[in-house]
Amino acid sequence: MNSLNEVWSTRFNHYINEVQKYMRFVFTGHLAIVLVFIVGAVGYQYSEWLKVAPDTFPAEWIVSIIVGVILALSRPVTLFREPDQVYLLSLESKMTLYFKKALNYTFWSQVGLAVVIYIVAIPLLKAVTELSTNQIWLGVLFIAVLKFLNVQIEFNYRYGNRGENIVIDRITRALLSIITIQTALIMNYTMAIIFVVLLIVYNMALKKKVLRQPVPYEHFVKLEQNRMMGFYRFANYFTDVPHLKGSIKQRSWLNFVYNIVPYGKKSTQNYLVYRTFIRTDDHFYLWVRLTLISGIIAFVVNIPVVTWIVAGALAFATTLQLKYALLSSKDFRMDRLYPVKESQRKEAVQKVLRLFMVVQAIIVLLCSVGQPLFFVPAIIVIVLNEITFRVSKDPSKHDYSY
Amino acid sequence: MTLLQLSDVTGGYTRKPVIKDLNFSIGEGELVGLIGLNGAGKSTTIKHIIGTLLPQKGEIRLNGVTLSEDIDQYRTSFSYIPETPVLYDELTLKEHLELTAMAYGIDEHTLKSRSEALLKEFRMEKRLNWFPSHFSKGMRQKVMIMCAFLVNPKLYIIDEPFVGLDPLGIQSLLDQMDEKKKDGASILMSTHILSTAEKHCDRIILLHEGRVRAQGTMDDLRKSFNMPTATLDDLYIAMTKEQDHE
Repeated sequence: MNSLNEVWSTRFNHYINEVQKYMRFVFTGHLAIVLVFIVGAVGYQYSEWLKVAPDTFPAEWIVSIIVGVILALSRPVTLFREPDQVYLLSLESKMTLYFKKALNYTFWSQVGLAVVIYIVAIPLLKAVTELSTNQIWLGVLFIAVLKFLNVQIEFNYRYGNRGENIVIDRITRALLSIITIQTALIMNYTMAIIFVVLLIVYNMALKKKVLRQPVPYEHFVKLEQNRMMGFYRFANYFTDVPHLKGSIKQRSWLNFVYNIVPYGKKSTQNYLVYRTFIRTDDHFYLWVRLTLISGIIAFVVNIPVVTWIVAGALAFATTLQLKYALLSSKDFRMDRLYPVKESQRKEAVQKVLRLFMVVQAIIVLLCSVGQPLFFVPAIIVIVLNEITFRVSKDPSKHDYSY
Repeated sequence: MTLLQLSDVTGGYTRKPVIKDLNFSIGEGELVGLIGLNGAGKSTTIKHIIGTLLPQKGEIRLNGVTLSEDIDQYRTSFSYIPETPVLYDELTLKEHLELTAMAYGIDEHTLKSRSEALLKEFRMEKRLNWFPSHFSKGMRQKVMIMCAFLVNPKLYIIDEPFVGLDPLGIQSLLDQMDEKKKDGASILMSTHILSTAEKHCDRIILLHEGRVRAQGTMDDLRKSFNMPTATLDDLYIAMTKEQDHE
């Protein structure tokens, strides 16, 4: 029995170290600064809007839906690894203890997000509902109970069905969680408790099925690998995560872009870099995400200085990260041997970035139409791309040995 | 005429050299086999020739120039097939061929005629728009081979070409090599498949602990080991035993 306790705690320590190692880069990275600006801007808008929020605003429903959906997403964190499918087989009957610890951690690591979102919504609830302070805090208790049940149910469901049709289970739980919070927020506590009891019954039904089944190691290992992969992808935006290969999609609807590259020796790196940027998910979605955030801020926030700073900060972050991603590579690539100028790669990356940052500028421009000096953010985007590209250091300057 | 000349080349990844005072040359139209145990320095030698590692001492001259004298001419003079295929995950087979052709200044018409012939030879015509993630190890190897032969350079540098290829693929590769040799191109090939090396190579370089242990035709090697009827396998084993006695 003790050995499984140990297995969990060694793994847990290792996992926390790994997460901390990368989170350090995330929080010291430039994106953290961008986030501070965005949170500040959105917070300011929110408090301004609260002053004029109408009493008819459906705050209970909106809060219930957002929190309910987040509660339903309760992927268990098992910290399983691939060899477990073989080495933990003999301990199958004792795994209950391990899972108890795993689900405990799952609960504590996930409940925070739902609670924070609810707390952010408290000023709104105070402004537009008649709830007393105690009644509002009672909501937190409901959220904790719901999270606990959601974690247990998602685990039991995955255990019993090997994750098949998890969407149906999640929708069911999301609906029940939403309606529980909603009835609690309109002070209909009897109904709220009935819905909680429904969830408990659902859990018990699933548990019966679990008792008759072997541990679905394969499913949990895969789930765990996907989860860690997601984390590494995220961390990869801030620092180099070794052995991480981004997935590739053709995105043939963008094939027309390649036509601007003429055939010829001088265009060799252009030919390659356009395709690398558009088809590598990591690079392309990074641009899409930051462009969308920039556009949304330009559209929603109507304090010119804030939109200028956000557009600038996001343009800086986009250019810097993409330049780094496209220019630095420790792996050997065949184009290292091509008889073309060494500077061609850098020029090609600059060209691709220029094109896509102009597109970002156009999107920001369209989103800020109607605001005073609406053209300024777009100009800032273009100028900051140029400056950032020229001033930042060149990551490709290293020796060619591999 | 000598196409590739290594003179007193010493080098490696760190200060401690892996290859020591290498001296050998390859003439035009010659197929030379680079043979040695794991860790003898075959791949390191190749990395120095293709220029991803620079020699700590000595000089490598290809087609009359060193890498630092004329990098463009040096790099245009050879093509390289690595031991493990190095492909761009984001490019289709067709795009790999196009990119290679662009890099080596091959015009579109030549690209079309050469790639059609190669695709047919290696039975890959139907996979033109596939991405490498859908290729088997052997197919990936074929993409590398086709890109190398598309360039039509003076020197082919081929590292362990037969691993992972099916028998038809091996035959196609040997046919291609023969054809290029007839046209006057030279080939440096490292391999562990000794029977094939013995059958096809004009000359063999036996590498041992970073030095050239022996080089020449099969007859030269037999004389140097004093084994008049030996096969390359026998000579290889004799070389290993020498190491054990030391």
